[in-house]
Formats: sequence, structure tokens, C-alpha cells
Amino acid sequence: MLAVDLTGDAVKAKNGSMVAYDGQMAFKKMTGGGEGLRGMVTRRLTGEQMTVMEVQGHGTCFFADRASEINLVNLRGEKLYVESSNLLCTDAGLRTGTTFTGLRGASTGNGLFTTTVEGSGQAAIISDGPAVVLRVSAQYPLSVDPGAYIAHTGNLQQSFQSGVTFRTLIGEGSGEAFQIRFEGEGLVYVQPSERNTIGGDV
Amino acid sequence: MNFGPVMGGPGGPTVFDPYTLPSDDNVNAYTFCVELKGSQWFLQKGKMISYYGRIEFNGIGNGRFDRLLRTSFHSPLHASDWVVAEGQGKMLLADRAFDVNSYDLDDGNLTIRSGNLLAYQPSLALKQSIVPGFLTLIGTGKFVAASNGPVVFMEPPLRVDPQALVGWADCPSPCHHYDHGYMSGVMGGLRSLTGIGGTSGEEHQFEFVGAGTVLLQSSEMLMAEQSVGAVGAGAATGNAQGVPGAGQGPLGQMGVPRMPGQLGDLQRRLGL
Repeated sequence: MLAVDLTGDAVKAKNGSMVAYDGQMAFKKMTGGGEGLRGMVTRRLTGEQMTVMEVQGHGTCFFADRASEINLVNLRGEKLYVESSNLLCTDAGLRTGTTFTGLRGASTGNGLFTTTVEGSGQAAIISDGPAVVLRVSAQYPLSVDPGAYIAHTGNLQQSFQSGVTFRTLIGEGSGEAFQIRFEGEGLVYVQPSERNTIGGDV
Repeated sequence: MNFGPVMGGPGGPTVFDPYTLPSDDNVNAYTFCVELKGSQWFLQKGKMISYYGRIEFNGIGNGRFDRLLRTSFHSPLHASDWVVAEGQGKMLLADRAFDVNSYDLDDGNLTIRSGNLLAYQPSLALKQSIVPGFLTLIGTGKFVAASNGPVVFMEPPLRVDPQALVGWADCPSPCHHYDHGYMSGVMGGLRSLTGIGGTSGEEHQFEFVGAGTVLLQSSEMLMAEQSVGAVGAGAATGNAQGVPGAGQGPLGQMGVPRMPGQLGDLQRRLGL
């Protein structure tokens, strides 16, 4: 559960994720996630729909979603890439948007687009089990199972890595045939659990 | 505004890189890190969440592993679920956000529910237990297992709920125990047949006797597993008498256990 202290300012949160609050709060559904008409159309087209509400007031507000683990990310001007389903709550000052992810999206079954959060402030992302934060640097690229990936920050190039061989075709797959390889400088968040993915069985 | 207590202190969550990740130890309660230095580990499919370095994953039907399999893998029914990881680097293992722990065996034996075992060193030999759905590890080495909630260690004599049982070490295999009083008599029979009058759901237990350790988890939720060694319906009609897996279970529908090198998943998927 996430507790947010508000003193007259606002946060954006997943619709319906409030579980309790004390003090004075106003909840307002933000059509289109507060990204304006263009953002709305983009989200509709890309399938990264996100119903967001704005919470404003004085006091403490508690957020939770299906008992999943909450991880806080501090942003200082960098960009956070996260699946819209994993984003729980952000500072109202952070800009959200959509971006093309390429092949990774197709392999995780989450579509070809992902949500970006940009600016200075905090964001809360949810994961099945506490996320492990892994640093990627030039010498140490990281490979991640698409089902365990939840978010990343920094300047990272993702490439899609496949270990599909003729053995996969005769049913002797390794079960780890698809990975996303991250190269560059940044942080990757992985969860200790795997979503069901298209590539997961191969 | 202020977002509640930040995980891992004021600096935010701990960030790991290949140097700060532990070697063959837990990263947190749900994630385990294995270090490979040109060595090999057996790994259940789909339990690897990420890795640094150069690590290859190969199905165990791969011809190169013949010698390795001869010494440490004796479970053809599970062959399609296991892969061999080899190379240089560190990999993270996790399973459905369950608690993960490693255990060391020193010239010992331990039997564990097949779905709970994540990985083991090839210095251990994996065999099918005669209890359906369980695997036995024999030898010296380390293995990683998951449990829904922390593992509790108990000593026999003991009766346990089959669903809470994770495994047992060094003691004779368990036997079934049925709560006689509840099942006997007309009323007891009616109750167990219809559920009218209430059944406790605890009429059937596993009974352990002798010296050893029994491992329990604090949840009765189980993961899907393959029934191994169950004598199938075919036994009654005289076909495939006593042949493990020849009857029921997900594999049994095909009639034959899948062996390495056989047309495996694809065959099943195409309904061949």
C-alpha cells in the first residue's frame, strides 16, 4: 500500500486505486490521462489505454492494487518507461506519454507501445513481488525475460534476442527462447514472477 | 507532497550490478542469484528472469549433454521441463513471487514436489520419487526451491496435509492416512459422499514415521504439476501394467511419456 501526503497539491493515480484517505480529498477522473486531445487519440490508437484520476487535497491518501508490490521511482529529469498496467501513481507534475517499443512489446503481449513518464518527481510502479533493480552499463549488458520486465529508466537500447534453433521446432525448446537485451546506461526493474507471454512456452 | 516511506532507505531501492549481486545467494526473499563460472546448472523452464554475461540455455535433449544427463538426470517424464544453463555470468531465478531458498545437501537425499524445484547443481542426481508428483535429489550440492510462504521444518512422527507438503529429507517415504472415524458408519459415508453435514477437508493426510525432516509451506495453494509415476487406468485393463505415466495426467492423454529427442511440445500442440 502506498501512502501519499498531500498539502493542497495533486497526484495522478490509476482509476479506482484509492483504498483509504484522511483529510479532505477531491477525486477527478482525467479523461485521456491529462495528456490532452492528442494524447487521448494516441492512447486509443496504440492500445496503451490508461484510466487516470487526479487526487487533490490535504491529508494522506492510500493507494493499492490487487495486493501487488509497490516500488517508488525518483525521477530527476530522466524518462521512465513503464507498462501502463504497471503504473499506479505519479506526481501531477510528471508528464506521461506513449512511445513505440518495437519488438519487445510484441513479445510481452503488451502491444507495441509503452507509457513514458518524464520530469522531476516520484512515480509508483506495481509489480508481482518486490522488483529487483539492475544496473546496465556499457560493459555489462543485461538480458531480461519479457515476462519479468516491468520498467526501465535511462538511455538504454533494447534489442530482441532469440535463441530459437531447430531444436525449438522439434519441441526441444529451452523455455528461455526470447529475451530482451538492454545495452547502454540505465536501470532496469524486473519482478520475481513471469507474466504469461507469447514467447513463454517456446 | 510526499510519497510514503521509500523502500530501502532515503536513497531509494538498492540497485544491483554484476559486482553487488550475491553469488549463489538470495537477492531478496523472492529472487535468487546463481553465479556461473563456466559451470552448468539444471534449471526448470521459465524460472530465469534476467542475467548478466554470456549464458546459454539448452534443452536437455541436446546431444552434448549426454554424459551430464547420465550422471545427474534420471527423470524422462520431466525432460521437457528442464534446461541446462551454462556460461559465464550471474542469473536471477524467481517463481511467481513465491519465497525462494537454497538448500545444501551433503551426501544426502531430499524429496521435493516437482513444481517447487527451480534449479540444482549437476553434482546432485535428480530422480523421480515413487510418490507421484515428487522428485528426489541424491548426492552433494546446492539446489533452489520455491514455496508459497516460508518453509517450516518439522520432525516425524507427523501427519501433514498433502497440499502443504513441500518435501522431506532423510526419512522413509510417507504413507496415506485416512481419518477413520469420520469416514466410517452410515453418517460418515453420507457426509464424505455428499458433503452434507460438513466435511473438514482434512480426512486424508500423509503420515511420516522414522528419523528425518519434513518441509512444509504455510499455504495449501499448489502449482500445476505433472503427475509422475501414477499407475494409470490402463493398469486395470491389463495394458501397460505398472508403467509410470501410462494412464492419467497431462502426459497420459498422449499415452507415452516424452523422452528427450522426441517430438515434444510441438507434437502435442499440433495434436499429432
